[in-house]
Amino acid sequence: MDKALRKIVIVGGGSAGWLTAGIIASEHATELGTGLEIILVESADVAPIGVGEGTWPSMRTTLKKMGISETDFLLECDASFKQGSKFTNWNTNTNEYYYHPYTLPHGFNNTNLAPFWQPYRDKISFADAVSTQSQLGEYGLAPKQISTAEYDFNANYGYHLDAGKFAGLLQKHCTKKLGVKHLIDHVTQVNEAESGDIASITTKKHGDILGDLFIDCTGTSSVLLGKHFGIPFISKKHILFNDSALAVHVPHQSPDSPIDSFTCSTAQSAGWIWDIALPSRRGVGYTYSSSHITDEKAEKELRDYITPIVGLSAAKTINIRKINFTPGHKEKFWHKNCVAVGLSAGFIEPLEATALALIELSAKMISEQLPANRQTMDIVAKRFNTKFLHRWQNIVDFLKLHYVLSKRTDSDYWREISEHKQLPDTLQEQLLLWKTQSPYYYDATHTEEMFPSASYQYILYGMGFVTDTPRKKRLNSSKKADILFNENLKHTQHLLSTLPKNRELINKIKQYGLPKI
Amino acid sequence: MTNNVLLNSVDHKDLKIVTERSQKYGDNMWYSLTFPAEFKSVQAYYPIFFNKDSNTGQFISVAIFGFQDQENLFLADNRWDAPYIPLSVARQPFLIGVQKINEDGEDKEQRVLHIDMDHPKVTQEHGEALFLEYGGNTPYLDTAADMLEAIHHGIVDSKIFIDLLIEHELLESFTLELELNDRSKHQMAGFYTINEEKLSALDSETLATLHAKGYLQAIYMAIASQSNIRGLLNRKNFQLGL
Repeated sequence: MDKALRKIVIVGGGSAGWLTAGIIASEHATELGTGLEIILVESADVAPIGVGEGTWPSMRTTLKKMGISETDFLLECDASFKQGSKFTNWNTNTNEYYYHPYTLPHGFNNTNLAPFWQPYRDKISFADAVSTQSQLGEYGLAPKQISTAEYDFNANYGYHLDAGKFAGLLQKHCTKKLGVKHLIDHVTQVNEAESGDIASITTKKHGDILGDLFIDCTGTSSVLLGKHFGIPFISKKHILFNDSALAVHVPHQSPDSPIDSFTCSTAQSAGWIWDIALPSRRGVGYTYSSSHITDEKAEKELRDYITPIVGLSAAKTINIRKINFTPGHKEKFWHKNCVAVGLSAGFIEPLEATALALIELSAKMISEQLPANRQTMDIVAKRFNTKFLHRWQNIVDFLKLHYVLSKRTDSDYWREISEHKQLPDTLQEQLLLWKTQSPYYYDATHTEEMFPSASYQYILYGMGFVTDTPRKKRLNSSKKADILFNENLKHTQHLLSTLPKNRELINKIKQYGLPKI
Repeated sequence: MTNNVLLNSVDHKDLKIVTERSQKYGDNMWYSLTFPAEFKSVQAYYPIFFNKDSNTGQFISVAIFGFQDQENLFLADNRWDAPYIPLSVARQPFLIGVQKINEDGEDKEQRVLHIDMDHPKVTQEHGEALFLEYGGNTPYLDTAADMLEAIHHGIVDSKIFIDLLIEHELLESFTLELELNDRSKHQMAGFYTINEEKLSALDSETLATLHAKGYLQAIYMAIASQSNIRGLLNRKNFQLGL
């Protein structure tokens, strides 16, 4: 039981496998003999799902810590900057929209501006009043300048990227720089020890591979945690209806078309369409509920959406890929000496780009809490399970919040998904509370919450939710708020006059690269 | 704005270039590009720092003339009060242009002399003529052409120099804290200098590489040039009557 943990076997490549490998290997020494041994076994027969093209700002820290140059990353992964999400037609289906930017409201750590904005809600949008970033979105501006050092910013950002190329870059970096071993082989069998732990996996060409900790990154097939251990899956389909997706890659209208740095999410009759702009193409997809719309009808809505981008004839013939999934997650994620990261742990519609963020968070916790030996592993596993069950609940609640405030009644889908009766209790309670007080510090009940209370504010007030505080604030705090609003306005003007267009910056990065310092 | 055109002896035969130095003629820059090949001359009078070209994000080395935008403390009585003027200032209003030519069926690029017709130093009235009365360049123009050639090679060399500085983490940002004689405090930010701690920790192999290219000398001259801040400060106090 007190055998030291020396060898980690990651099963499955893709973004999950390679991000996990990179995050662990960049924290722990991997020298031959004395260091931690990390092996990634990846099958050549299984194609990665290749979705998950949006990241959170946390990816900047993740990549920087791994020692990857941001310029290399941007160029090799066909990546661009993501400053948040823009939601269109979610509320009233009248071409209205709102932004959920990555920048926190101005002065957020000291002052909650939301109650002071409320009286002006008909004059200025919440995002415009408290952040600079929705305006940057409106003008298609980049979050930084060519002279801004790698990973630094003028406005907080994550990325839009090509998931396939991303896995390729990570693989190269992990094997060449971080000492991760890479085996291309197919796992044929999982071998159990007497204790019930996984002792080894059997591969076609390399025989048995022993390990102390096995990380299941096998995607939705969940070979270790699901198939071998039979850990049950908890469906969330009754809360979040979407269980299908149609995905397509489309070219830009012209090679110098603007590159949007927000993920555009446009609500449809039975779900929503994502639109992610990379330098060389756009990734567009419709995620919907198969109980509310036929695949054929969904396909037509998607083809209608891309018609203005690619033209009628191309929109009719372009190849569309279908993905089926059950929204939800495993009952637990770490069992015995096996932990699942990525789609093997759970899968939910890509709203708010939680897939890659969860991989980062999982790998980070595994790495930082990496048990010294088998004895302490069960303690860490228990913590991990508690933490991630809470995170999944957070995700489900937060995604549901996007739907529940909708006033759309134009389809069964929207009528049913916005019904309050199937709300999780946690969200039900919060919504009641938020009618009289806006989300702030005390809404974060755990450390490292998935979403800051600022995110709840952006969604609530973007969707026209009204918080009616019964008590007036003292005059001096409202003066302080006025100062913050004015500062935000000035800062917005300043950024609008200094930041380049997103495409312009990407082109300059191709030519000069970003400075290291 | 600038209006750069290819210089030629027909259209431009009557042009003259003002040699006075003053704000009126666009000399009120607070810093200007320099490069290792002229560090020896520059470090005698000006602090040498590094900053990023806002258009490319690339580092360049610069000679400092003042503490804020449009402040050149070396301008006095229509002249430049120092024996050496950095080439990137002295060359004005000329600049290097690139012309595509076809030589023996092969496309090549050739450096040519451009002039900024909108530069305030360009006149027809007084100053140095560019062309001799019966054809041919004046010595003044030849000198300008030589400067541009030196700048061109200087910039190419400077890029190699600065890439090495970055590779060995020898650049660090700093904020210059100034106190004038009236006790008022000022800050100058956005510039970088040599990280002396990292420099002193370099291994002998790296030092040998830097030395072989003449860059070790450039590094030490950049460090030594910091003593010119005192001189700049004296000029500032003097201008303000402090």
